[in-house]
Amino acid sequence: MSPPRIATALIAVFVLIAAALGLSRARIHAQPRLVAGAPDTTTRGKIVYDAHCVECHGGTGRGDGPAAALLTPHPRDFAGGRYKIRSTETGSVPTDEDLIRSVRQGLPGSAMPAWEKLLPDADIADVVTYIKSLSPQFAQPPTAVTLGPDVAGTPQGLARGAAAYQKLQCGKCHGSDGRGTGAVATTFEDDWRQPLNATDLTEPWTFHGGATARDIALRFRTGMMGTPMPSFKDAASDAEMWDLANFVVSLARTPLWAMSAGEVAAFYRQKDADAKANPVKRGRQLVDTLGCGTCHSPVDENRRPLPGLAMAGGLRIRVDPFGDYPTGNLTSDKETGLGNWTDDEIKQTITRGILKDGTRLPPYPMDWSAYSAMNADDLRAMVAYLRTLPPVKNKVPRPSRPFLPVYLWGKFKMLILQQDPPLLFFAGNAGTAEVHR
Amino acid sequence: MMSPKLARILKWALLVVVVLAAGGFTAFLYLIPPFFIAAPATFSAPLVAAAPKMDDIKNPAERAIAERGRYIAMTTGCLGCHGTPGAQGFDLDKYLAGGQLFIESSGRYVTRNLTPDPETGLARRTDDEVKRVLRSGVLPDGHVAPYTTMPWANFSNWTEEDRHAVVVYLRHLKPVRHAIPDPVLKRMPVRDGAIAEGYAGVDYGIKEK
Repeated sequence: MSPPRIATALIAVFVLIAAALGLSRARIHAQPRLVAGAPDTTTRGKIVYDAHCVECHGGTGRGDGPAAALLTPHPRDFAGGRYKIRSTETGSVPTDEDLIRSVRQGLPGSAMPAWEKLLPDADIADVVTYIKSLSPQFAQPPTAVTLGPDVAGTPQGLARGAAAYQKLQCGKCHGSDGRGTGAVATTFEDDWRQPLNATDLTEPWTFHGGATARDIALRFRTGMMGTPMPSFKDAASDAEMWDLANFVVSLARTPLWAMSAGEVAAFYRQKDADAKANPVKRGRQLVDTLGCGTCHSPVDENRRPLPGLAMAGGLRIRVDPFGDYPTGNLTSDKETGLGNWTDDEIKQTITRGILKDGTRLPPYPMDWSAYSAMNADDLRAMVAYLRTLPPVKNKVPRPSRPFLPVYLWGKFKMLILQQDPPLLFFAGNAGTAEVHR
Repeated sequence: MMSPKLARILKWALLVVVVLAAGGFTAFLYLIPPFFIAAPATFSAPLVAAAPKMDDIKNPAERAIAERGRYIAMTTGCLGCHGTPGAQGFDLDKYLAGGQLFIESSGRYVTRNLTPDPETGLARRTDDEVKRVLRSGVLPDGHVAPYTTMPWANFSNWTEEDRHAVVVYLRHLKPVRHAIPDPVLKRMPVRDGAIAEGYAGVDYGIKEK
């Protein structure tokens, strides 16, 4: 890892010279928070919205904030006025209480946090007024449903609930065991053509609308608009829905944080076995969580992904003073993507930063030293998933070194003047694909 | 009094020395390798080895969970941004103690100290607060971190149980006292028209007197 000793000594001397010159850096100071003070509720709500909601829901509330494309489930599009979590009939807007509850308590199993500990109730009420103003649907008053008082679970009730689970064919999406086993399909698209997973009914901590029997019964009764989850209003009686809700509550498994040592070991063994049995699924999870798309999907000036170029590379990254490294096309395109790369060539790039043509990558921003710690199964899974990405033709230029004097000046600044060279991320596509906006 | 001949020789000698020095310096600048030029495995080995082992945890369930969290945190590359810059590369004694600078149009951010130090690290934050950052990018003061600097939108796709494992692991890091300045949240231009800039060569943490 260390360069020759002489170089080290020289660098040390330069550090001392720089220190002697008294080159100091500006200290960074914290800044007080902007406090909102505006005349009417909607305007106040917009101020709260702009401060906290834009990164996911977007400046105009269309659910298209910069981070939106990476999130499953996708952030709500407020302009459409269609909401999943309601206590109202299908087709109706949610009540104010529904919206306030979703903001206050968050939506478990999604990126929506509970804001009750972060924002005063008045701000939450204002922001709800504001998001309602984004959709004409709210001109119609909500039609609330009634579910009657809570029905406690009994052994007979659970048996009836299990029968209803069969009758209503819940297993088609959620699996015969609630975990997706034997399901016809578990991944779907919602009405906005965004990916969506059928909920694992044994993990109540991921239920977006809450995990009490009443919350669950409400989802049966109202359906989840915009998703394949329908309302069972006409297919089942209220009593059946309560039985079914109590049955779903009974499916809950022990969460990791409450498991014994033996259970933890068995849980991870099962997880590893599942990953091995379904490498594409595991690979997708790895690629989604490692953040490959954050750099390998080019973005516009507002950090929004360019349409049609997901994982097709072309985001230009300047590693000063060494040159420009546009991100590679990871799709399966034979000519411009990974289609003609062998598994080993892909793995070598991921774990050692060496491209197919032998080019070495710097250790950042592509963190190959971190990926070098990945186990063989996970690497294989990642490659398996990358192979499934639909081909996108986008020829990305090779890494390029700057003009020689610029390069030397950059190194002079770095080594002698002890300036910290920047890493710069640029908007736009450096590749050949045309961008249609 | 020096003879004109000697003076001429000296002048030429001086010129040769200056030219050689300048040329040598330029060659040095050109040739001195970046610190990452070592073979990839040689470069990675110390970084991978620096992640603390979780063997000492008494409770076997917690140990298994922390080990899972360690694997996720290592392979995700938390160190890439939360590593503390040292003389050359990271100061691995300050594992995940933060200190790199990132600038976006929304503000200046210095990567936080993830070690469980009671005054400067994550010991000040509850598990829920840490998980909220990893799920929603929402900082304890309610501000949302830009996903392009802190890739929380990707970590949001972890299962809640994997997220839990990462937090358990972070709680077992060696505490390092390393104060980090708060973000400066104001709109600012980013250099050369870029959307984000990062600096990893110098420690931007607060120097203690």
